[in-house]
Amino acid sequence: MFGRKGNKAGRQHPAGGEALRLVKVTKSYGEADSAVTALDGVTLSLPAGTFTAVMGPSGSGKSTLLQCAAGLDRPDNGIVMVDGTEMTGGTEAELTKFRRGRIGFVFQQYNLLPTLNVLQNTVLPLKLAGRRVNRAHAREVLQRVGLGDRVSHRPDQLSGGQRQRVAIARALVTEPSVVFADEPTGALDTRSAREVLRLLQEAVRVHGRTVVMVTHDPVAASYADSVLFLADGRLAGRMDRPTADAVAERMAHLGDEYATDTTTPAYATPAGV
Amino acid sequence: MFSLALHSIRKRPGRFAATLLAAFLGATIIMTFNSMHDTAGAAGVDKVSSESLSTAAAVVGGYGSLLVFFAIASTLTVNVRQRESEMDLLRSAGATPAQLKRMVVVEAAVVALLGAALAIVPAMLAGNALLDLFKDSGQVKDSVDHSFGPIALSSGIDITLLAAVGAAFLAVRRATKAHDKKPQRTRLRTISGYAALGLGVAMCLTTFAMGKDAGPEAMAPPAYGAIMLSVGFAVFSPRLLAAIVGKSGDLSLTAANLRHRTAQLSGVLMPLILFVGITTATLYMQAVENDHIKQSGIAKTIDDKQLETLNFVVVGIIAAFACVMLINTLYATTTYRGQEFGQQRLAGATPGQVLRTVGLESLILAATGIFFGTIAAIAGIVPFALARTDSMPEQGPGIWLAVAGTAVAATLVTSVATAHRRLRTPAVEAVALAA
Repeated sequence: MFGRKGNKAGRQHPAGGEALRLVKVTKSYGEADSAVTALDGVTLSLPAGTFTAVMGPSGSGKSTLLQCAAGLDRPDNGIVMVDGTEMTGGTEAELTKFRRGRIGFVFQQYNLLPTLNVLQNTVLPLKLAGRRVNRAHAREVLQRVGLGDRVSHRPDQLSGGQRQRVAIARALVTEPSVVFADEPTGALDTRSAREVLRLLQEAVRVHGRTVVMVTHDPVAASYADSVLFLADGRLAGRMDRPTADAVAERMAHLGDEYATDTTTPAYATPAGV
Repeated sequence: MFSLALHSIRKRPGRFAATLLAAFLGATIIMTFNSMHDTAGAAGVDKVSSESLSTAAAVVGGYGSLLVFFAIASTLTVNVRQRESEMDLLRSAGATPAQLKRMVVVEAAVVALLGAALAIVPAMLAGNALLDLFKDSGQVKDSVDHSFGPIALSSGIDITLLAAVGAAFLAVRRATKAHDKKPQRTRLRTISGYAALGLGVAMCLTTFAMGKDAGPEAMAPPAYGAIMLSVGFAVFSPRLLAAIVGKSGDLSLTAANLRHRTAQLSGVLMPLILFVGITTATLYMQAVENDHIKQSGIAKTIDDKQLETLNFVVVGIIAAFACVMLINTLYATTTYRGQEFGQQRLAGATPGQVLRTVGLESLILAATGIFFGTIAAIAGIVPFALARTDSMPEQGPGIWLAVAGTAVAATLVTSVATAHRRLRTPAVEAVALAA
């Protein structure tokens, strides 16, 4: 089961390999006349072992970008490659099989199964993929996210922050090439949000995973190694080693000057201008 | 709230389809049988014919009303539960619980009236056909004409309306008080469950007290006993099933779902057990009776024939209602699980895996329902056979196989087909819909 095609590179990525590549990905919704272009030829490449935040105003296409990149939606045109293998849109079953070997998810609404306890939720992706369930490993991952003593609890017995940490453990247990996080802190208080972001950071820095996080929160984005800005379905810039203030500043001006500047601006102005 | 109720019926007729069907079927049956009262009361009908007709009307009309109530209540409970978010929305927009109650009750009343109105013509035709049935078997003289009069009309409309309004009232009360009343309700359920089981056993045992060589009237106690046992089993079976699955140590999704969805499962198991229990019991008892008459070499009397006709009609009605309830409940609970299916898919389940889980769950459910229904039926059949023929029943498994097959097919097809439909929504949307 582990030797599946396209996965044989192993699950540890030395920095430098390419975890995710998008080539001219376009996606629009609706019929011809009233069609809305959500993604307009997005091309990007993310090296393995990086933590990238994707930011943009609402309607900029960031959720669509995540869904297309993660194989939850099919792009109209363009190529999506995960871990060197091209994602070919076939049936949902084929996409699912592609995803579950390579991609982990963390959602704003956790999406844990209410009838399963913490440990069962964590190992569910392995069971669904027919892979061997290593309980010791799953417990170790849960320990890492600080839930070692909660393995028999069910989601409704946990706080929002704890649920999100279960979701992170579930995303990491399959040792995926890329973890996609969609507003992972959107429903959390500041402290829980910080813990969740630290865990994502740790997954990248200590365990060499690749994380792509969609967010609208400059503070959340500042935990990433770099930020990609998106406006009107196009990439509108990139910022390395972001700070919350700098991201907020850039976001405030994204509407009027996107796609012109791809260098890091001088960030002297505080957030909220 | 009145105009809101009418508006919601007009804009979303689909979700009232099950209630309308239940009201329509119920009103048809009530009107059909109560038109026998009208027919019996008409001028120039002889005494024997009149008595036959009145008995049939009284027997079927009585628990027919009860069935109508249960069926409408089941569809409305589901309807209200599915609209929880709509209710929350109205509540946050300033609707008081009383206003919500009024809205649901008015909706139910309108749908019930519509169902009753639609039932009038079919009930006239069915009444005619039923009268012909009685005539063919010689219970009623050929000269008697069918009449569809005030009794049929008023009882049909009144009972359907009353059942709908009462059921709506209960459904919405349960929905608004669901959170704080739980322990008490569970206790009440447990008590009524034990009561039903005790009563059922007592009735089945009563059959023995009727002594050897009892007449066909010995069918009544075990038949009601089987019904009571079915009701009792229906109360306890979800918990029993959860306990068995829990003990098995099975960690699969199917096992977890069966363990933690007791409330929803009981909604499915209730009609399933009633269907299997009552249908199997009645059909086998009639078969025992028929064989007994044949062996003793005497011709069937009018009473015998009437019993047979009634039994078949009863089984037909119960089967129809139980199926409507079963399919409605399964459809609703499966539709309700769209979000859960989405979560499974996001966790890496292929559509096929989701369908297989649903299929396996419904197979286990069907097996549980058939198991308990069969026990309830045997508890009625054996005492009757011993009392009537002094021997164990010798009928083959054919009837049981047909009943069990119907139960399995209805359960499996409804849930898998509904789940299949739900899977058409992309996983991300399915998850967001109810979130």
